[in-house]
Amino acid sequence: MSEQVNDQMSEAVCRSLLADGGIVTITATRRPRGGRADIKCSAPGAPAIAARMQEVARLARHTEARHDSRDQVVISMDRAPGAQERDWELAVVLADRAVRGLLPLRPHTLALGWSEQWQRGRIDGHDTKNAPAGALLGGPQGLRHLGALTGQPDVADAVSNARAWFPLHSGGINDSLCWVEVSVYPLDAGTADDEAIAVPGLDSARQHAVRQALAGARHFDGESAPRWRTTVRFGQDGLHGNSYELALVLADRMARGREFVPRGRIIASGCSSAWHAGQVDSVEGLAPKCALIEREAAAGDRVLLPRAWEAGLPAGLRDALRARGASLACVERIGII
Amino acid sequence: MMFDLFKRMARAPAFDAAGLGVEAIARPIASGCALPASSVGVAVDRAGHTRRISAGGRITLLEGESGWCFHPGPYGCDLLPFAAAPEIGLRLHFAIDSPDPRVSQQRFDLFLASEGAGELLLADFSARVEDALQRELAQGNLDLPPCTTLDEWNAFRAGLNQLLYTRFGVTVDDCVPVDLRGSRDFAQELRARAIHGADEPFLGTAPAMAPVLQPSGQKQPFDPAVADARALRRLFLELPCLMCRVRQAALPSGQALFRQQQSLLQRLDLICLAASTMPSLALAAPGQPLAMDQQLRRARHSVEAAAALDEAWALLARFELAEDQGLEALFDEADRIVANLEQATHERKLVTPQEAA
Repeated sequence: MSEQVNDQMSEAVCRSLLADGGIVTITATRRPRGGRADIKCSAPGAPAIAARMQEVARLARHTEARHDSRDQVVISMDRAPGAQERDWELAVVLADRAVRGLLPLRPHTLALGWSEQWQRGRIDGHDTKNAPAGALLGGPQGLRHLGALTGQPDVADAVSNARAWFPLHSGGINDSLCWVEVSVYPLDAGTADDEAIAVPGLDSARQHAVRQALAGARHFDGESAPRWRTTVRFGQDGLHGNSYELALVLADRMARGREFVPRGRIIASGCSSAWHAGQVDSVEGLAPKCALIEREAAAGDRVLLPRAWEAGLPAGLRDALRARGASLACVERIGII
Repeated sequence: MMFDLFKRMARAPAFDAAGLGVEAIARPIASGCALPASSVGVAVDRAGHTRRISAGGRITLLEGESGWCFHPGPYGCDLLPFAAAPEIGLRLHFAIDSPDPRVSQQRFDLFLASEGAGELLLADFSARVEDALQRELAQGNLDLPPCTTLDEWNAFRAGLNQLLYTRFGVTVDDCVPVDLRGSRDFAQELRARAIHGADEPFLGTAPAMAPVLQPSGQKQPFDPAVADARALRRLFLELPCLMCRVRQAALPSGQALFRQQQSLLQRLDLICLAASTMPSLALAAPGQPLAMDQQLRRARHSVEAAAALDEAWALLARFELAEDQGLEALFDEADRIVANLEQATHERKLVTPQEAA
């Protein structure tokens, strides 16, 4: 058993930006605890920063479901930030999670964010003004809480946000998973539901399609009166086709608190000619999308595909996903069984 | 002789059975009371041994015993499997089944003995069940993903039934997904969050099938002395039973697994010893009071140990359903839980925290 643990022992690296514009690399490693502290931190020449690192990592662990006291995680910084700087906090938390396999971390992730409430997994903001593109930014405009990394709504926020991912097929090498985010807030009485769904950045025909899909799916839910002011955002511009619809509908259901919550992300592809009946229809691009999903899926993810694809699924896809801790279902309807 | 008889009759207080079987599951009962029809008595002695007193009898308690009276049900309650999805729930119907003749102590009796404090309300009980369910789902031991298929639902139900039987000693009659929009309006909840801020969780209206005075969700302030005493009582009473069940449930097939089981049992034995020789919360040494913040720290570690105990019961439920090929992963999980128990009991003993590198 200890061999098993050692096999998984690796290191996780996450980077952050300091106020002087330099990059700090935060490295986390894991080793058997052996009667030592659960988290050990070091920053060159700055014991106060090291103490704060430990505090941040410990507080953020309060939001984890599974506690394992067998390991010690050692977190280090390659250079010390200034005493007032705090943007490195998010990178410490991410590295601490990634090294224990709780979070897939892409190489060269750059994360900026600080928080006064790590114990609730929320991120209050970031200070750096000129963050490079592609950086993970904490705060109201970016990553608001740690659960949002897998698209889950924050149980303490007044605006409910949820994300789902869908495979975007654009010719092999550029295939990627794109997210769609739905935010809902209770509507004041007397506003029409149609106007209450905003999709900034999309042309009117697509906006109409999004509204149609959401209105249909909510009708299927039995929403009698409009209750929500809704904002829909997409991770990328220039969408083609309508295979994003299933992901959109599921993100909406999750934001409205009407869908079971997966441990990881929802990855879905599918459309419908009758969302008001909850029906899921087939879409194009089975082979490249399945290949992409097989590459990208991580532990806890839930993959949902149209029922029509079931017979044509690549051999071994199910097993590969299961081995990684993700699960797959081919559905013909949304909702409870 | 006559006087004795009269005295006893005069002394026996009337037992109030109102609501028992509807909103209350169990209630303490005094010696000499007659058991109400269709309810069962349990006598618990100081060491946690229990015996049942069958329905319709009169409770006679020995020296040092306390009495309970419970109604076997059936009961119904609504559970919320995910805190983040307040409008989709599970409607659970359960009962406390007739005793299993193969075991010396019924699990529900142990539950009363170790966790019972005053009256056991249905709403209170369902909150505990909800906690157990939410933790298993969050850890991925039970799966209830979006668009659950029938096979996944059946696997979930089997796991849930076993979890509730192993952890609480209740039998699930029925469990169906249910739309909770009628009783909890998520839009209202979000509005309340916007007004009150996120620090106060919105209690909402009481669950639909438990029209009680909303005791669920109301958190009492953390009292270290009470929390510590409860957690230690649970460790003291439940660990021996847990070890007994581990011995019976997991019959490892190979030599390697057998060794692992033996070492787990030995470590559990040491934890039992640690739990029963735990120093008093308020004393650093005989006659020396301990600072309040250290008492708080100690109480927190006892509560951690009790949480690990909950996980251990849930794991035992998974052992009872497991096939041979899955045992390896379960033993690793057992190793983790036992390590957490060791860590928590160790830190509970310390007078001051030792910050090791």
